[in-house]
Amino acid sequence: MNEQKKSTRSSFAEALVEMGYKNKNIVTVAADSASRYGDFVKKFPERSFNVGIAEQTMIGVAAGLALSGKIPVVTSYANFLTFRAIEQVRVDIATSGLNVKLIGTDTGFSSAWLGFTHLALEDMAAVRAVPNIAIIDPADAAEAYKATEAIFKYEGPVYMRLRGRKEEPLLPVAEKSFEIGKGQILAEGGDVLIVACGGAVYDSLKAAEILQSKGMHATVVNMATIRPLDEELLMKLTSSIKHIVTVEHHNITGGLGSAVAEFLAENNPDVRLMRLGVKNRFGTAGSEDMLKKEFGLDSESLGSRVERFLKDY
Amino acid sequence: MVLPVYKASENIDTIREAADRIRKDCIRMSTRAGTGHLGPALSLAEILAVLYKGVMRYDAQNPKWPERDRFILSKGHGCLALYSMLSQAGFFERSLLDEFCSVYDTMLPGHPEIKLPGVEANTGSLGHGIALGMGMALAARIDGRDSRVFVVTGDGELQEGSNWEAAMAAAHHRLDNLIVIVDRNKLQLGDFTENISQLEPLADKWRSFGWGVRVVDGHNIEELLSTFKQVPFVCGKPSAVIASTIKGKGLAIAENKVEWHYKVLTPQQYEELKNEMSLEELCHE
Ligand SMILES: Cc1ncc(C[n+]2csc(CCOP(=O)(O)OP(=O)(O)O)c2C)c(N)n1
Ligand SMILES: [Mg+2]
Repeated sequence: MNEQKKSTRSSFAEALVEMGYKNKNIVTVAADSASRYGDFVKKFPERSFNVGIAEQTMIGVAAGLALSGKIPVVTSYANFLTFRAIEQVRVDIATSGLNVKLIGTDTGFSSAWLGFTHLALEDMAAVRAVPNIAIIDPADAAEAYKATEAIFKYEGPVYMRLRGRKEEPLLPVAEKSFEIGKGQILAEGGDVLIVACGGAVYDSLKAAEILQSKGMHATVVNMATIRPLDEELLMKLTSSIKHIVTVEHHNITGGLGSAVAEFLAENNPDVRLMRLGVKNRFGTAGSEDMLKKEFGLDSESLGSRVERFLKDY
Repeated sequence: MVLPVYKASENIDTIREAADRIRKDCIRMSTRAGTGHLGPALSLAEILAVLYKGVMRYDAQNPKWPERDRFILSKGHGCLALYSMLSQAGFFERSLLDEFCSVYDTMLPGHPEIKLPGVEANTGSLGHGIALGMGMALAARIDGRDSRVFVVTGDGELQEGSNWEAAMAAAHHRLDNLIVIVDRNKLQLGDFTENISQLEPLADKWRSFGWGVRVVDGHNIEELLSTFKQVPFVCGKPSAVIASTIKGKGLAIAENKVEWHYKVLTPQQYEELKNEMSLEELCHE
């Protein structure tokens, strides 16, 4: 396996600086920590603002900038960007479809020991409840870079999930282009369809390898865009594969699993679905590895859970 | 008047020892875990030591004693200091400190949770503590208790508007059993507060919101003690104590340094400082 490592956060920052050169309308608004913007603040100080520890104001200011033709980028720990400021996100940004890029960091298990105030496991649910906002959860740093380029070509509000500062292995797949709203097939097999997003993609691929060694063949889709969901791809794949598993570092309510379940229930109920993720509980303090194990989302647990699912149903 | 169960000590030396112990524990716990908000904990040492050793009424054997004074660490990321103080006050075994951010589902995570005896509210998202404290102060009034509620906020934290909503409401309700202590260490996560979003004139802000205000040296035990004895500063008004502090206080390389917001010593640095600062063994087997 290709063990090159990089964090989604640093990729985002690099791509942001590139986009900053290309588009003078891009501005950043920070709530205290501006380090998430990398060199952008140094390179474009006249287009960088800090409102202090005030996420709601950060969103409101971004909306005002967008109403005046700017393309604002805002970042914070995902929970403070979504839950803390969801009213501003909804009223100020979403109702008028403003061109604001919302970047929630430290999602999934990446804030680890910081505990449940910081562990962002319901953020997509909050944003998904609000119409109009595209939702992206990149699988690795390479995809985070391409997704960052893509969100600036897209006109309208976007919520993108990033993880922490920790370097993560890149996916062992050949370069592919990223397109908002398109899932990507990373492995092909006829027994089960694993649909994953964000930090769950890497372990899903590893789980597929484990399954493979036991004679079970999985198709693995990286569903980096949760909204708009790639319904066409889901329809196509579920016409032949009847066992579907979703995997996410998020509550199974309101995120990828919900999106897939809702779509299939109405459009192709002739399948078995298992949603893997966090089930109706908060995160708690632990290392990322401990948390993944606890929630049964490390590659080994995933492999055995999928295996059981195939045997039982 | 209910007799205080915890016998407040006015012995300055006892309080100073507690503050020193807090510092050493914070340094040790964070080094062991390889994580933690060390700078933000170190500025709190005297404030916590004075409150728990010389001011507040509580019963560590009966943490839910209804008549107790309440404490809320609104700047929850300063929890290292709180954990040390609570163990010193007898709420739990000292050995539990070793679990800080190193055991799955520990009672001592990176922000305080009520599952730990002595912790009154879950915090870690900034800007919640004053409203929580106001609720507790109202409950004390309803029940006719003379419990007081002490809330410690960061200074950068005061940029959150929610604090000022609660400040306005608490003054309106004449909650003179509510005391906010601002850990005015002049730094926040990314820079000095005055470089990010100016807080000054901070005392005037609180005064204009209807609070009684004192500005004190947050590392001066005598001054803190005599200040807390005078609450409420104005009858019928909540009290704000702006405690001038130094972020990272007591650890020379960390003092007043923005990067020590969320940084810890390496085990090697710890060993190098051990004698000079008379720190404990990093791991006792
Ligand atoms: C609502 C919210 N936004 C952002 C953060 C991230 N954060 C943690 S500590 C901190 C800086 C706090 O500065 P200050 O209040 O001055 O506390 P100090 O560390 O200086 O004691 C920030 C922005 C948070 N915990 N909660
Ligand atoms: Mg501060």
